[in-house]
Amino acid sequence: MSDGESWARFEMLAMPHLDAAYNLARWLTRNDHDAQDVVQEAMVRAMRYIGGLRSEGARAWLLQIVRHTCYSWLRENRPAEKVLLDDPDAAWRDLPAPSADEPPAIAMRKADRRQINEAIAALPIGYREVLILRELEDLSYNDIARIAEIPVGTVMSRLARARALMRAALAPSARPVLRAVPHSAQGGTS
Amino acid sequence: MKQPHEAWKVEAFVDGELDLAGQLEIEDRLPGDPALRRQVEELRVLREQVREHAEHHAAPAVLRARLEGRLRNADASARVAMPAAVPSTPAVSPQAPAAARPRATAGGASEALQRWFGWRQLATSFGFAAVLAVGVNLALLQAGQDDRLTDAVVASHVRSTLGQHLVDVASSDHHTVKPFLSSKLDFSPPVNALQIPGSVFVGGRVDYLDGRPVAALVYRQGEHVVNSFVWPGPASDSPPRFAVERGYQTAHWVAGGMNHWVISDVNREEFQRIVKAVQENDAVR
Repeated sequence: MSDGESWARFEMLAMPHLDAAYNLARWLTRNDHDAQDVVQEAMVRAMRYIGGLRSEGARAWLLQIVRHTCYSWLRENRPAEKVLLDDPDAAWRDLPAPSADEPPAIAMRKADRRQINEAIAALPIGYREVLILRELEDLSYNDIARIAEIPVGTVMSRLARARALMRAALAPSARPVLRAVPHSAQGGTS
Repeated sequence: MKQPHEAWKVEAFVDGELDLAGQLEIEDRLPGDPALRRQVEELRVLREQVREHAEHHAAPAVLRARLEGRLRNADASARVAMPAAVPSTPAVSPQAPAAARPRATAGGASEALQRWFGWRQLATSFGFAAVLAVGVNLALLQAGQDDRLTDAVVASHVRSTLGQHLVDVASSDHHTVKPFLSSKLDFSPPVNALQIPGSVFVGGRVDYLDGRPVAALVYRQGEHVVNSFVWPGPASDSPPRFAVERGYQTAHWVAGGMNHWVISDVNREEFQRIVKAVQENDAVR
């Protein structure tokens, strides 16, 4: 196709997913400014490929490019996170697999907005991305597998692990300090 | 002892990702298995909490505007600057299929993908036209705000004449066009037919210039299309500045708190008559 059609096609197929692209980049970089840089670069890349895109699956296609761009950006700019990035499975291979024998955190309390967002942000990036893609972008396991370039089974295991970590982070016992503050404040006034 | 993947299966059940038989199997087990019920319940609570509270970061307007400006301009200028090189001639096709397969990203290709950086790489994507396009794109980046705006106006004009999208509302009646544009924009543009012989008011559309939606009024002068762009500008008026950009006559000025850009491929004398007529319309508004 001629270049003249590229923008029209891009505007129709890719631009509608700009918010999803930004959301993923924002959650992966955890920083507004970096997310903007990454998305801009990713969109430029996407524009290059727009000719090969079929209209279905445009969102997963774009998010795959955004994720790629994020990871190479992180390698470049945050080498401290390199270990996790180079071999995503290595860093958490030692963590026990989730098991139904785990004591159930029945008393998972109603977490507030800040706690939820902090807990997601604290997840290792490989868990964070599958959780974001699943819960915020509502993508299927197949789409997530395609975007993250991992088998569906790995999507499932990471998602399970991500949720286990979330539950642990949000369990009452995980934040004794936060629970103690209102209590002791009350005690001080009485 | 349950299989390790049993937990994933419960997750998949909650996510609705099991096949029908799998979903039914878990459903059947739920009444008689309190531990399973609790697990499902917890997953649902977590899922609801995450979906309710997790931040959906929307793309900032400034990013959206920048992308629209850059990608659209890069695309349009690649076309405007190289009409002979770019159209779908077979000369481009040897590169095209390779560039059109982003999915071949595993292995070496993914490494390559990660090395691409910045505008130079966008330019190379235009294959045969790349060498020229790099020059155009870099020039675009380095140009000042005015030059970028000129480029955007030319690109918008060219796009309107080549595509199907000349007008959003086709009417020679300004009582139809003005309310339409006012409803789509955060301002009310002056809308009138031009009082000069041979001018036909075609209609209006909403376009995007200078990082914001603008009104575009479209006239025909014989075979020529005239685009007249209007959007709110500085308070102080400024007289028309004429220029020729890639063969198009352009003029821009500020009047009544509105930026005006007029562009057409008519000859110079006729263009000046058109600009005068647009100015008069603005004055009688």
